[in-house]
Amino acid sequence: MLSFLTPARRGSGLGMAMPALLLLLAFFVIPVAGLLSRSVTEPVTGLQNYETLLGSATYLRIFFNTFLVSGLVTLITALIAFPVAWALAIMPSRVAAVVFAIILLSMWTNLLARTYAWMVLLQQTGLVNRILMAIGIIDQPIQLTNNLIGVTIGMVYIMLPFMILPLYGVIKKIDPAILQAAALCGATKGQALRRVLLPLATPGIASGALMVFVMSLGYFVTPSLLGGTANMMLAELIVQQVQSLLNWGMGGAAAFILLVVTLALYALQLRLFEGKAR
Amino acid sequence: MTSPHLHINGIRKTFGDVVATDHVELEIGEGEFMTFLGPSGSGKSTTLYILAGFQDPTAGDIRLRGKSILQTPSHKRNIGMVFQRYTLFPHLSVGENVAFPLRVRRAPQAEIAAKVKRALSLVRLDGFEDRMPANMSGGQQQRVALARALVYDPPVLLMDEPLSALDKKLREEIQYEIRRIHQQTGVTILYVTHDQEEALRLSDRIAVFNRGRIEQVGTGPELYASPATHFVADFIGDSAFLTGELAEVKDGRATLRFTDGTVLADVPMHGVGAQGGKAELMLRPERIDLSDTVGPPGASLPVTVEDVTFLGNNSAVTARTGWGEPLYIRLNFGHPMMASVSRGDKLHVRWQPQDAHVFTKE
Repeated sequence: MLSFLTPARRGSGLGMAMPALLLLLAFFVIPVAGLLSRSVTEPVTGLQNYETLLGSATYLRIFFNTFLVSGLVTLITALIAFPVAWALAIMPSRVAAVVFAIILLSMWTNLLARTYAWMVLLQQTGLVNRILMAIGIIDQPIQLTNNLIGVTIGMVYIMLPFMILPLYGVIKKIDPAILQAAALCGATKGQALRRVLLPLATPGIASGALMVFVMSLGYFVTPSLLGGTANMMLAELIVQQVQSLLNWGMGGAAAFILLVVTLALYALQLRLFEGKAR
Repeated sequence: MTSPHLHINGIRKTFGDVVATDHVELEIGEGEFMTFLGPSGSGKSTTLYILAGFQDPTAGDIRLRGKSILQTPSHKRNIGMVFQRYTLFPHLSVGENVAFPLRVRRAPQAEIAAKVKRALSLVRLDGFEDRMPANMSGGQQQRVALARALVYDPPVLLMDEPLSALDKKLREEIQYEIRRIHQQTGVTILYVTHDQEEALRLSDRIAVFNRGRIEQVGTGPELYASPATHFVADFIGDSAFLTGELAEVKDGRATLRFTDGTVLADVPMHGVGAQGGKAELMLRPERIDLSDTVGPPGASLPVTVEDVTFLGNNSAVTARTGWGEPLYIRLNFGHPMMASVSRGDKLHVRWQPQDAHVFTKE
């Protein structure tokens, strides 16, 4: 009875994971493999899809947009999330619970609803433009939607929790006495941040950054609603190729490149941080 | 008149309605080893944190070499500190940990190397520069913390129960090291502990804290021989208290009457007490003698032996006074009574007049 719960059988955990693994195999690995094989077989066998993608300025522009936006989103998210995570770590736990609830609530709100809300806020006559004009930073409304500015703003907002949570995890583990020690050693707030807090928080920053960057690379909803057709990103390209043009070969090639980049980044992260953490 | 090296001047700190420290007044000389001794919550750590600049006092001042440091932020106070918890920077090697205070002060590289080497040598960790803190024992980590706190020659070194996480044997070993380092460097040390033995072993002087106030300041022998309050008598060394009534108070001496009518005359008294008030007689087990003959008046009481336990180099005797309060006596090996004393014996305890103290009780 229940012998699978006893420690002696713990090694056979693979058996318990089997249903999920089979599900992944049937509905993820096989379709992805199919898509990839189509990228080198359609319309004819060969690497012509990859040649087109990596050889034309139009498509390279899309890659550039994707990496630029993902990089910016990661950077801005990290800059905003760090003080938030720090504040969460040092505030009384009851207050922190409320702030967490607010962060998670925003995560659980429908993605489309949130993105449409940004469209309203960022449009020519929207709140953001009106405030900027009222305080005299700009004279004319600036274009904040249908371009990469809008995409970046919308995505930073959506990605914030994915950066805050891992950062909070590492910062919470740092003993405040270590920072008191740094202060008594003569470190200014800036020096304590640079020489102690940031290095200690680096694993959290790295895992948050990887998560945000990778998610941003393949993000579709926000770029398609807040971005313009002139500034396409990779996920939009895949959708366009597969859905509108029924060009599975090109779509598959773009998806494969995305997958390779993602895996490479993940490998880099493992190499840089996991080894040290153990 | 020269001002003291460090002057803690009437420090008071409240958290809401709670008074953490009150009227803490202390002058510490240069090179002195001063220990704050008291139970947890007695205000000793709060006082230390105020010195470190982690907390601001509600009232009072702290002057270092005659100048107030309250307006100076922690990082500019130049004070060294070793914490109760391990606070080495986990991402830096031992050498870089000790170099940290010099790096943030932008000292030249050659000076840093020389000073780090000297500081590590002082705590007997020569050659440990490249070790990571995670690969060191607790005792070693606290030594590195000590080196890091001393490397910039601070005018005051604060130590907040630095050995409380270590086991007893290691604690004694490092206590010895701390003494040696104090003698070698001449640094002024403020040391917080709740362990009276540690305080006695290390300190030049001890400030005994209780409920946010300093009850008494003095050398170990002073506190032991002439405790100013019941609390100090109870906290330093072993003691027994016998409760009675003040029959007469004159010139700092009291006559006590116990409930069965026994009278003790002419005992030195601490505190203010009126005739008729309650008072306690304090006696230390190792400072009283057991005898079959009555002693001089005012320094002797009849007792009944209740229990005798042989402990090797001494015997612990529990006796009861005529009115039923217990009294403990320690007989050293070789004492003439040691072999013969047994349960139910009716004997007399005797003491030197200066070893008895009376504290008023409210």
